[in-house]
Amino acid sequence: MIRDRRASSSACAAAVFTLVSVSASWAQTPGPLNAITDVPGIEVGQYTSTDATSGGGTGTTVVVSRAGAVGGVSQRGGAPGTRETDLLRPENLVEKVNAVVLSGGSAYGLAAADGVMLCLEGQGIGFPVGAGHVVPIVPSAILFDPGRCAPFSSRPDASFGMAACQLARGGPVQQGNVGAGAGARSGGSKGGLGTASTVLTAGSSAGIVVGAIVAVNSSGRTFDTAGNFYAGFLELGNEFPLVSPAGADVVPPSNLLQNTTIAVVATSAKLTKAQATKVAQMADDGLARAIKPSHGVGDGDTIFVMATGTDTRDATNLVSAIGSAAADTLSRAVVHAILAADSIHVGSCNVRSYCEQFPDNCAR
Amino acid sequence: MKASDVCAVAFVVLSAVASPAWAQVPGPNNAITDVPGISVGHFTGHSLTGTTVVRAEHGGQGVAGGVSQRGGAPGTRETDLLKPENMVQIVNAITLSGGSAYGLAAASGVMQCLESQGVGFPVPGGVVPIVPTAILFDPGRCGAPFNSRPNFSFGLNACSAARSGPVQEGNVGAGAGAVSGGVKGGLGTASVVLDKGVIVGAIVAVNSVGSTFDANGNLYAAPLELAGEFGNLIPIQSGPPPGMSRPAAVPGGLLRNTTIAVVATNVELTKTQATKIAQMADDGLARAIKPTHTPYDGDTVFALGTGRISMASLGDPAFAEYLIGSAAADALSRAVVHAILSADSTSCEKSYCDLFPNACRNRKKGAQK
Repeated sequence: MIRDRRASSSACAAAVFTLVSVSASWAQTPGPLNAITDVPGIEVGQYTSTDATSGGGTGTTVVVSRAGAVGGVSQRGGAPGTRETDLLRPENLVEKVNAVVLSGGSAYGLAAADGVMLCLEGQGIGFPVGAGHVVPIVPSAILFDPGRCAPFSSRPDASFGMAACQLARGGPVQQGNVGAGAGARSGGSKGGLGTASTVLTAGSSAGIVVGAIVAVNSSGRTFDTAGNFYAGFLELGNEFPLVSPAGADVVPPSNLLQNTTIAVVATSAKLTKAQATKVAQMADDGLARAIKPSHGVGDGDTIFVMATGTDTRDATNLVSAIGSAAADTLSRAVVHAILAADSIHVGSCNVRSYCEQFPDNCAR
Repeated sequence: MKASDVCAVAFVVLSAVASPAWAQVPGPNNAITDVPGISVGHFTGHSLTGTTVVRAEHGGQGVAGGVSQRGGAPGTRETDLLKPENMVQIVNAITLSGGSAYGLAAASGVMQCLESQGVGFPVPGGVVPIVPTAILFDPGRCGAPFNSRPNFSFGLNACSAARSGPVQEGNVGAGAGAVSGGVKGGLGTASVVLDKGVIVGAIVAVNSVGSTFDANGNLYAAPLELAGEFGNLIPIQSGPPPGMSRPAAVPGGLLRNTTIAVVATNVELTKTQATKIAQMADDGLARAIKPTHTPYDGDTVFALGTGRISMASLGDPAFAEYLIGSAAADALSRAVVHAILSADSTSCEKSYCDLFPNACRNRKKGAQK
């Protein structure tokens, strides 16, 4: 834990104050898995390709709601690669998404969604279009990782989506150099895949579950020059295995224009598309708090929301509580991604993880 | 400024628009390929579906693009990057495809085709082709298997077939399986040459819930005809001939449609200007199809500027944009008419000309292009 830091500077005093005020407003605890799969009905599947000879990896992460979840999106990064975001606008016909695909491979990786669609069609999951046929609704976003260590042409295709979809299930979610986070980098360090969850415990929102999953591949860093995570103050229940701040050992980001952080936030709440859109917008602030800068010109940052609606209470007056929790959960998922990432040192391909840079700070 | 001055200014603008300040004649092919830098390729499947690719280049690079997405059931790729504030400033190709959302896979084949030619947005290690895409709903129609749909290979083949020159219309490419207001829809294109060398073209796959003609059978956009391009359509007052009935717009009560289009001009546009041109062009759908942009139509219109003529050479850029957008709307309306007139009857839907043989009786099929 980062208790020393919090006790020893005025900035950290402010952080503590913020934490206290957040706790007072919306009491929160992580779910049992501290993963997006704590949201009932949400499943995650990941497929990772690692080129062992070059140290390069890429992959695909799919978040599935077999029953369909009301969808929304916030697309604020400057270099997006996306599919099916237009249909998520509240005025458009289709309400529910069946899966969201996060993938490496730059725009080429959008092909992974083709495999997810075939996987879901094979299970009869999708928007019904008559005669028993379905069209799976699969919004998708990609991040830029090609050619970093592996050949430029090593990228997710339809088979990655098919494999990830077939592996989708509830339960614990692997983090770090996996799925869409396999080739990810973040502000000069190794990026990765992270997840987190929150169970709201206060008042009328008690029992609503919010989860996030994110592939962190940002131009900006997730920690300051002393190694302190920007989102460290949002920790719930000793979830970050940190011991102390560790002094400066910061690598400048090597590339500011080929990045992108992509995420899914899920909730058990019953939301309309317009409400899901609002939650996506608020969740996007979780990136802002965890990564600095974020939403840059070369970051195609895109946040999807999936509201499963298994919690059937009227959520009209709970959108702010859900959106606030979504932002914090996403921030925490970013920290998990960076803490779970592993260094790559293969031949000329070298990128250090946070925990290699700050070994004294990582108790894992 | 006095009120009379305002009126004088308004009059000048109005007369400049209403009078033939910029003459309008179709280009030599009356096709979007009349716009330098634009090439088109189709691939048509065996069971009434297919893919149409519109490639765009300027000096070996992509061109500025914009989009108007106003239909209620869209299926799209890469529309977010077209927002003016976003980084990528170019488009290499637009994919229009059948197959509902499954047909978005065609764009992956287009990307491979372009990558193999070194075409795309340059990044360290290679290129990433920028290929915005929209699909229409045609799966399972007329007895076709539901899983017969455009895939990766459709996009690869359509992209490889892309060339300038005449463009095939009717039951081809993205229009192969299209239907429109109960008659056979299809693929259509048109172009217009304005003053100062400005060229505007449109291509559209018409697959609309709404109809392109009124209760008597007269095409809404017929008055926009240029140079006899519709082949001397004969106005009709009495609907279909005896023994034929105007088909229900909604066979089986199932509303699954979408009209998708590309407009292009040889003028150099910014992304912001291309967005405005796309918005104005979208009005061309409204004038040619009624109703349009319904909850069941994912109507999406892309705009491209191939950069051969600088906006600065056209005087006031806002006014040039105004004229280009107006011409794009009219070209798109005319392309819709070409699509309907070029469509062939199938065992499931009659074509317009088979339903209204009197209207088409002076028209020599294929002779007008």
